[in-house]
Amino acid sequence: MKDKRIDHAGAAAAFIADAPHLAFHDERLWDMRQKRDAQMHLLPEWQELRTLASQIKEHALANLPEYLEQFEENATRNGIRVHWARDGAEHNRIVAEILQARGATTLIKSKSMVTEECDMRPYLAARGITVTETDLGERIQQLDDQLPSHIVVPAVHKLTGDVARVFATHYGTDPKADDPRQLAEAQRQAARPVILHADAGMTGANFAVAETGTFVVCTNEGNADLSATVPGVHIATLGIERLVPRLSDLGVFVRLLSRSALGSPITQYTTHFRGPQDGGEMHVILVDNGRSARLGMADFWTSLKCIRCGACMNTCPVYRRSGGLSYGAVYSGPIGAIIDPTFNERKYSTLPFASTLNGSCTNVCPVRINIHDQLYKWRRVLVDHHQMPFVKREIMHMAGKLMGQPRLYRAAISGTETALGTLPRFALYNWLNPWGRHRELPHPVKETFHAWYRRNRSAPGAADTEKTKTDPTKTGRTKDTGQ
Amino acid sequence: MTARDTILDALRRNRPDPGSHPLPPPATLGDLDAGRERFVASLRLLGGDVMERAAGEPLAAAIARHFPAARMICAAVPGVDGAIPVQDLPDARAADPVDVAVVRAAFGIAETGSIFLSEAQLHLNALAHLAQHLVVLLDPAQLTANLHTAYRRPEFRTARYGVLMSGPSATADIQGVLIRGAQGVRSLSVCFDPS
Repeated sequence: MKDKRIDHAGAAAAFIADAPHLAFHDERLWDMRQKRDAQMHLLPEWQELRTLASQIKEHALANLPEYLEQFEENATRNGIRVHWARDGAEHNRIVAEILQARGATTLIKSKSMVTEECDMRPYLAARGITVTETDLGERIQQLDDQLPSHIVVPAVHKLTGDVARVFATHYGTDPKADDPRQLAEAQRQAARPVILHADAGMTGANFAVAETGTFVVCTNEGNADLSATVPGVHIATLGIERLVPRLSDLGVFVRLLSRSALGSPITQYTTHFRGPQDGGEMHVILVDNGRSARLGMADFWTSLKCIRCGACMNTCPVYRRSGGLSYGAVYSGPIGAIIDPTFNERKYSTLPFASTLNGSCTNVCPVRINIHDQLYKWRRVLVDHHQMPFVKREIMHMAGKLMGQPRLYRAAISGTETALGTLPRFALYNWLNPWGRHRELPHPVKETFHAWYRRNRSAPGAADTEKTKTDPTKTGRTKDTGQ
Repeated sequence: MTARDTILDALRRNRPDPGSHPLPPPATLGDLDAGRERFVASLRLLGGDVMERAAGEPLAAAIARHFPAARMICAAVPGVDGAIPVQDLPDARAADPVDVAVVRAAFGIAETGSIFLSEAQLHLNALAHLAQHLVVLLDPAQLTANLHTAYRRPEFRTARYGVLMSGPSATADIQGVLIRGAQGVRSLSVCFDPS
């Protein structure tokens, strides 16, 4: 628990300082949000789909042990080898064992947030296994040695020039050739021979169906299907919360997923894996990695409903202006801010504060997760657990004392007005005042409302708070306002 | 204790009350139009084409007209003159040089312009992804309205590999520019053809 806190505000400040990147990032994500809205307006049943999706997920989570057993039984019957991993280390070990037992040294994979959680690539690299990401955005991030900055569009924080620079370094392309078509073609040409000669392929999964033992992968580039069908071995890693009970449930989720993510009616590929192809083998690794513990958190278990569409990120004003990398975590944006603290409360303690609590994330969530409520509740938990940085903690502590004692508060306000009017800037704007870093303090006023009220309504016994004192049902804060 | 038992035990201990979270009945919502026009509009939205054939024009001639530069054509359906039967490809890698693959979809979805392919139609699953272009024969009688109705199809319970392809491969990962033809097929053309 000695991990350093992520300095989200500091990283965001650096992101904001770069105007061209900031402007593109903000516009691109807002465009995705608007395309999502356009799709929503085409479907009168949209809100009903969201309600159903939420109910199905909550049901599946409340019955997860049974559905996992059912999935395992059906998948095994269909010829899939099912493995269970308590955490990232166990997951990585299982993958390495499967590969080593087959003498495999090259692995091609499509995007999987769970393998990012498990930090799988360095583990396999240390064991002589070359892992190649085949999703374009994910590959750019792999070559640039960065985490994905967005769960759907991993390199969305980069401009074409950044990609040209990365490809020039690693693919030997012209660093000045920054046409997106040429760059995408360079990726196709570079990936194809790697795909053709890989010993094994790996995918994640968006959904797993208990009823049939099927898992479903939703992608656009075709790289996941190449990774799964060209090599003879297919390993799929999925979080245990991916389960849905029935095939018919996929109708609800597939209709919501890409519409919420990119504003397209469906992903180009929606692939259903129910068993190994002829002559091949198929493995599924069911990963817990903190999920079973999260299921027991009364205020936070519904975050497990998440289908990883990224709509909450696209709509979030803080995310759009700070960039995914500023969260310093596998999951960024509003959903990341409520999931990440379950992995490491201290390290990610700043993330629930990276929000205006405007509620937009909750409004666009296709499975109706109350994200902004959970952000607020996390703040309370983090304060209770003393996970606040010193200055913020002390300021809140002092403010609490001050506001709890009106006489002290008035004295302080009067003093503050004097200070605002007389103190030099360096005394007002410094590290003890993070609020003033991006904002001007209010102008001092000649007279406070309280002083004015006393002067103009000075009848004996008619002081401002006397009435509330006699009628405690009017307010729950009588104690605070009474003299 | 095995990982499996540890996980299942923890879930049983921690889960919310199952009685408070009933499973809603299967849903069939939205537009139930299974018409060809709706399918074609959706297909085009996702970047797919319709390959028209002149009356009496053989399939091979239509393909040659659409793909004049194609050298290697591989068919997973009978009756395409000059095409290599997919059964003649020894393994997945052998599909890499294929310019045009010709397949028959089991069904299509009007809502999304998707077509369904499985090992029953492909014989070699990688063919649909390694080929540069895909020509898909589709019986208009096999159109279903939307994803709710599609998941009632029996193929989802029998196919080991079943893909809904909705237009060609695509990416918008570089500065948000939409590019059709990412890593899978560069184009997907549907040819209506009653089976």
